[in-house]
Amino acid sequence: MALLETTKLSKSFGGLRAVSDLDIAIEPGTIHGLIGPNGSGKSTFFNLVTGVYQSDPGSRIVFDGTEITNMPSHEVGALGIARTFQLLRLFSDMTVLQNLMVGYHTHVSYSILTAIFDRGAVQRYDARTTEEMMDLLEFIGLADYAEMPASELSGGQRRLLALGRAMAMRPKLLMLDEPAAGLSPVNVEHFLAIVMKLKEKFGLTILIVEHILKVVMETCDTVTVLDYGEKIGEGTPNEVKDDHAVIEAYLGQEMDDDEVRAILRT
Amino acid sequence: MTVATAIVRPFTQAVGKLSAVHRLAPWLLVYLLLLPLPYVLSGLFNDYYVYLANRICIFILLTVGLNIVKGFCGQVTIGHVGLYAIGAVSSALVSLHLGAPFWVSFPIGVLVAGVAGIIVGLPSVRLEGAYLALATLGLGESVRIMIAVTPLFGSSTGLIGIPTPEIGGFVFDSFERYYYLLITATMIGIYLSFSILRSATGRAFMAIREDTIAASVHGINVPQYKLLAFVISALYAGAAGALFAHMPPGYIHHNNFTIIEMVTLLLMVVLGGIGHIWGGVIGAIIVTIIYDQTLEFYFYQPLLFGLSMVILVMFMPRGIGGVIDRYFVTRRFIGAREGKTDGAP
Repeated sequence: MALLETTKLSKSFGGLRAVSDLDIAIEPGTIHGLIGPNGSGKSTFFNLVTGVYQSDPGSRIVFDGTEITNMPSHEVGALGIARTFQLLRLFSDMTVLQNLMVGYHTHVSYSILTAIFDRGAVQRYDARTTEEMMDLLEFIGLADYAEMPASELSGGQRRLLALGRAMAMRPKLLMLDEPAAGLSPVNVEHFLAIVMKLKEKFGLTILIVEHILKVVMETCDTVTVLDYGEKIGEGTPNEVKDDHAVIEAYLGQEMDDDEVRAILRT
Repeated sequence: MTVATAIVRPFTQAVGKLSAVHRLAPWLLVYLLLLPLPYVLSGLFNDYYVYLANRICIFILLTVGLNIVKGFCGQVTIGHVGLYAIGAVSSALVSLHLGAPFWVSFPIGVLVAGVAGIIVGLPSVRLEGAYLALATLGLGESVRIMIAVTPLFGSSTGLIGIPTPEIGGFVFDSFERYYYLLITATMIGIYLSFSILRSATGRAFMAIREDTIAASVHGINVPQYKLLAFVISALYAGAAGALFAHMPPGYIHHNNFTIIEMVTLLLMVVLGGIGHIWGGVIGAIIVTIIYDQTLEFYFYQPLLFGLSMVILVMFMPRGIGGVIDRYFVTRRFIGAREGKTDGAP
């Protein structure tokens, strides 16, 4: 059974159908790529799954046997879906460690009453959590910056922190929205290596949106291609690469020599 | 083992092992040091300065509460002074008309303010920033006007003769004596604010301040936590209000709850440092003293405070707490950079 399954998922903004009757199934344990030109509905898909947007009537999203259509974001997060954002949305004024501690929020077992009346218990609990988070920070290579405000980090470190914060949720499904955007080729490799290690260690399923096709081709098991909110292709990276509709969406229609000359002349 | 783990880990492990005695010891020490303050003040200056210390205590309670909702949760509220008024009036009415002792009317005042806090907080679920500020401003002002026009709440004469607290024959009927009550409440208030904010709840508040959508995606029930922040801050305001009402000479008037008071409060929080627990305390002390020393120029005070606020926001947006923080962060940052040898991104 698929870990995440959407049926007839649609979302309109006024007259624009950003996502249109989308059926996607993500198998557990795989890395699923989502590609498509700008404005093809990839980020909208993320926002629909994580409850940031409400989907149109008739849509259905099922995660791990639970229907999560239009469920509030925090409940989706508690079920085990973590995501990163294209623009990261880090908690910039908080420290790196605190960012991760917020990620861990759904697993915190004490209530505010414990916090008020038994400060010792809270301190002991948080110390244990801190240990765990430090392990995670060491894993992604940010341990030295634990006490830094997130705003002080470099671009590459911020991307890692966003990943770490999502992993602190102990998710089953990790959704990465253009995780490698703006990274240098060396750092892209570094980043992907960490993602692969995390996947192996925690048995993750990963959904990845990426513009750098090399990343998609090398890492993904399955790729879904979107254009104008509709699915125009799906399959292994190699199948998709040769798909006519996909090439057209990305590069436009093939032109013969006369047409090219006509354009050049004007 | 990396540098940071060498520094951070022993620390967290040590904190985990601290016993309650160790944790409370510094607080008790500060409390004991502050207890004889009235005698020092009346000895060095005169009784008026004891009254000033009392005012500072009340403002500290107010700013610590305001800091929770504004500084930590990032919700701009200008209705705080309304909650302060509600706490003051309800506690005063319960003791004036029902003859209840302070120890009964005080918790009632705090609770009524807490319930009112839910109402002030409700707009925050839908509104943000300046719009929320306007909505809460409306609520705060309408509370003051209600007091000003309703005879039961004191209208233009104010409520007179609110009884002073008493415990086992000891009556808190002078500024010196009332100070003991206030400093106790203030220390407890600050300690509790530490307990709440240095926990998952406090981190959830900060996450909402930083980015609502990211907070929500990471499993934080945003509307619920916003309301919680409003209620907690309302409880602080209510406590401050009730303590103010019963302070000798036991008189409250709607002029104590004007928008000017609110601006003063905001200035305290901004000066001390938004989002720093000690910030509100520092701000309350400094601004109350400045307020007091400029009383001769009463009519220019709003101008002075308004201008200070603009200048602060422009040149020192994080206040005194921010400057101190900045210093330590920079030092730590240099430390982390020097400790690094590998070339990870």
